[in-house]
Amino acid sequence: MKTIKESARETRVAREADVVVVGGGPGGIGAAVSAARNGADTVLIERYGHLGGMGTGGLVTIIPQLTDIHGKQQIVGLTQEWIDRLIARNAVDTPKKEHWGSMDPELVKYYFQRSFFYTRLDRVVYAALIDAEISKIILNEMVEEAGVKVYCHAWGTEPIMEGNHCKGVIMESKSGRQAVLAKVVIDSTGDGDLFPYANIECQTDIPAHFRIANLAVCFWVAGVDLKKVMDFRQNHMKEFVDLMRKANEYGGQGGFMPSNLPDQESIVWFHSRYPNKSQIDVEELTRVEFLGHKIAGKTIEFYRKNVPGFEKAFLVLTDPQLGTRSSRRMIGEYWLTEKDLSNNQPFEDTIAIFPDLDRGQDSLDHPNMYIPYRALLPKNVDNFLVACRAFSSDMHVQDYFNLIPHCIAFGEAAGTASALALSAGVGVKNVDIKALQKQLAKQGVPLPDVTIEVNYKYEGPTLKTPSFIPPH
Amino acid sequence: MSARPSVGTITETARQIKVFREADVVVVGGGPGGIGAAVAAARNGAKTVLIERYGHLGGMATGGLVNILPNLSDISGKQHIFGLTQEIIDRMEKRGGAFYPKKEHWGTTDRKVVEYYNNANMGNFYIRKDPNIGGKERVLYTAVVDPEILKDELNDMVQEAGADLLLHSWGTRPIMEGNTVKGVFFESKSGRQAILAKVVIDSTGDGDIFVEAGAEFDGSLDNKRRTAWLALITWVTDVDIKKADDFKASQPEKYAELIQELIKLGGYPHYMKGILKNQRNVIWYHSFQIQPEASDPKDVSELTRVDVRARKRALITYEFMKKHVPGFENSFIMQTGPQLGTQGGRRVIGEYTLSDKDMVSDEVFEDTIVVLANNDNREISAKHPALCIPYRCLVPKEVDGLLVACRAFSSTESFNQWFNIIPPCISYGQAAGTAAALALDASVQPRKVDYKALHKNLVNQGVNLPEVK
Repeated sequence: MKTIKESARETRVAREADVVVVGGGPGGIGAAVSAARNGADTVLIERYGHLGGMGTGGLVTIIPQLTDIHGKQQIVGLTQEWIDRLIARNAVDTPKKEHWGSMDPELVKYYFQRSFFYTRLDRVVYAALIDAEISKIILNEMVEEAGVKVYCHAWGTEPIMEGNHCKGVIMESKSGRQAVLAKVVIDSTGDGDLFPYANIECQTDIPAHFRIANLAVCFWVAGVDLKKVMDFRQNHMKEFVDLMRKANEYGGQGGFMPSNLPDQESIVWFHSRYPNKSQIDVEELTRVEFLGHKIAGKTIEFYRKNVPGFEKAFLVLTDPQLGTRSSRRMIGEYWLTEKDLSNNQPFEDTIAIFPDLDRGQDSLDHPNMYIPYRALLPKNVDNFLVACRAFSSDMHVQDYFNLIPHCIAFGEAAGTASALALSAGVGVKNVDIKALQKQLAKQGVPLPDVTIEVNYKYEGPTLKTPSFIPPH
Repeated sequence: MSARPSVGTITETARQIKVFREADVVVVGGGPGGIGAAVAAARNGAKTVLIERYGHLGGMATGGLVNILPNLSDISGKQHIFGLTQEIIDRMEKRGGAFYPKKEHWGTTDRKVVEYYNNANMGNFYIRKDPNIGGKERVLYTAVVDPEILKDELNDMVQEAGADLLLHSWGTRPIMEGNTVKGVFFESKSGRQAILAKVVIDSTGDGDIFVEAGAEFDGSLDNKRRTAWLALITWVTDVDIKKADDFKASQPEKYAELIQELIKLGGYPHYMKGILKNQRNVIWYHSFQIQPEASDPKDVSELTRVDVRARKRALITYEFMKKHVPGFENSFIMQTGPQLGTQGGRRVIGEYTLSDKDMVSDEVFEDTIVVLANNDNREISAKHPALCIPYRCLVPKEVDGLLVACRAFSSTESFNQWFNIIPPCISYGQAAGTAAALALDASVQPRKVDYKALHKNLVNQGVNLPEVK
């Protein structure tokens, strides 16, 4: 490997804080808001001009899987707060609360047709389709109100290491290379960008058939006469399916989802899966961007010409952020692996409960996944937390539990733990778990009673719909 | 636990950085200048790498939602800017992604035609008053392009030219050997890496690379000028524009009252109608109205503050209009600019610095690389409808191995404000990329490029240049 020597230099310290969070996606939002609300002087560094990561810039405008098979909402906390703020602005669509968990075939059919995300395992599931632009504003408000110091258009690139201690991070921006020093560093980059420099153990292998192996270039098409489209689909199903196949043959994309949001009747959403060698290889990211834009262009050409209702449609937006699904996965203090996908006994340090909905019968037998605090802690660095999809997990756990609400929950736990540790004058590894759980519960996070021995057995009706891997 | 002010510096130790590529030319920034530079360098045979921070090319023209290529002709309708800008418009035209006044209308004073373009979309970009004919309004050649189609088209152009592109990559720092730039360090998901090159072209818009290269520059910005203002553009769709127009026309006082109230709330009073012919229900809000704020596009805290504030104002505007103005009932915010709109920044001090006197000199430089229409300076424009730009304003003093091809070209701020927009930047890029390739062929530094050879090559590429005596 050819290298070049970069000489030593003095780098300006932009700020000193208690907690610095790198990355303003769902994990970073959760972490920064929670740390600041719990009294820590918090800095959030975000590469783009908006917060929300995949949920906004990635056009993955869906917060799914909030209720379990019994219809019980397991992910609440900051996720629900985001949704509540969207409700206040009429900028969200969700199944009605009284329908969560319902197995009424008519209801299930209704919601299935409305959105792919509203049903799982023959049941109605609480999921929220969100407005990306309004969400950007809401997330800004949440961090501002919490008192977080935000740097947008700033790229947190490297940890500043001193042995096993991380003193802060390097930040590149239009103001040049600067440092932010902090007592606790939270990696919410999605990809564990800080890991290689901090020698944090991780895995990066992903089998090609896994959902998380794919990149996405989502795009929105506007000017659609949705009623006309839906009537055509309903009355000419065969022709419609044929057209979707032809769209693919043309080099475009068959299949789309309606926005469903109030007043967005004219918008549909195209989602995609692009196989790749690695989501942290800059050449692969470039290749897929090209491909995705090419396909988006072909798609709009084909639909305008051939699909009723799309005559006046136009490509309004390709995602400002490339849709990434997974890359580095930490091997931390506790490593969540395949065997945990059948464990129904909560961990003593559980910080979140995630409904398990995508694995057919296996999900019925294991309706909830418990996440230990230790899954956010690296082995080798003493003041570092991971609050994003790079949490400590193997590929199997990662494939199902690295979505937006999950990452918010990691963030909420990490941010809260950081502030508690700083108040108590201990390291994040020695934070009082009971105090952490108590505080999280106070913030509206449902947590299990860890003192009870669980003997769960599924006793509901047999599964009718087959198991499948959803396209999110 | 409370905020503490910044203290001094930290020491980063020396280290080895992986060399990712070795190239002839590396272009930092894929905005209009970078596109021009990369395509021209690659077409002229240089092994070229283009580094872009976002996932798309086009800079302000795409991600900034400033999807307009203005002032391609002078006020009389004579086209001056050709070259790659015209090539881009031709390619966009083929895909139904461009809109501009018909050629036979350029320069016309016909009231009906003028009115048509005034109302077509973004009216004022198509029309200028001509003092030479008593201040009558005339139609200009200005093109509006679809930003999403443009992203794909620019990808194609760069690829067809054979340039190697790195998206999601932020070129941050020059690699120096004495006074000569030898490449750049860049950040990406692959970590910090280096690209070595014989010529580096700074197309970052803000001169991010030339600062650490030690080039002299002027970073002053006067808040009275457009160049100091940041803008976050918002598109709102599903507006019944006819209904809104009817309301404005039938109840002008009521409308004015509403807009006054909106201003008090902090919203945006003005919008532009319809961006493209296929986007009939779309309106466009610029965020620096009514009063631009003191700002600095080179300061990350300012970029953050303006971005956050502009979003809030967009929401205030949208909610207010939806509630109160007929035609907006079903509207929604379709998108905000994925890139914050920046309009000025640092300006390099080059071998030649363009200033106000160049707007009245009519000088034909021997190293002219483009002729630009001068449409926004009233009486001066009337007397001097176009002006020549010399290659030397892309060449920094003293620093070698570096060219500047973006709005940071060597100019005073008063000059820069008129000639730092998209088509001129494409032209600066085209010249810089060509010059870099010629310098490599001749084994000389870019500043030593043979002006005659550069002139000939640019003319062959379709750039409109005057005869040099």
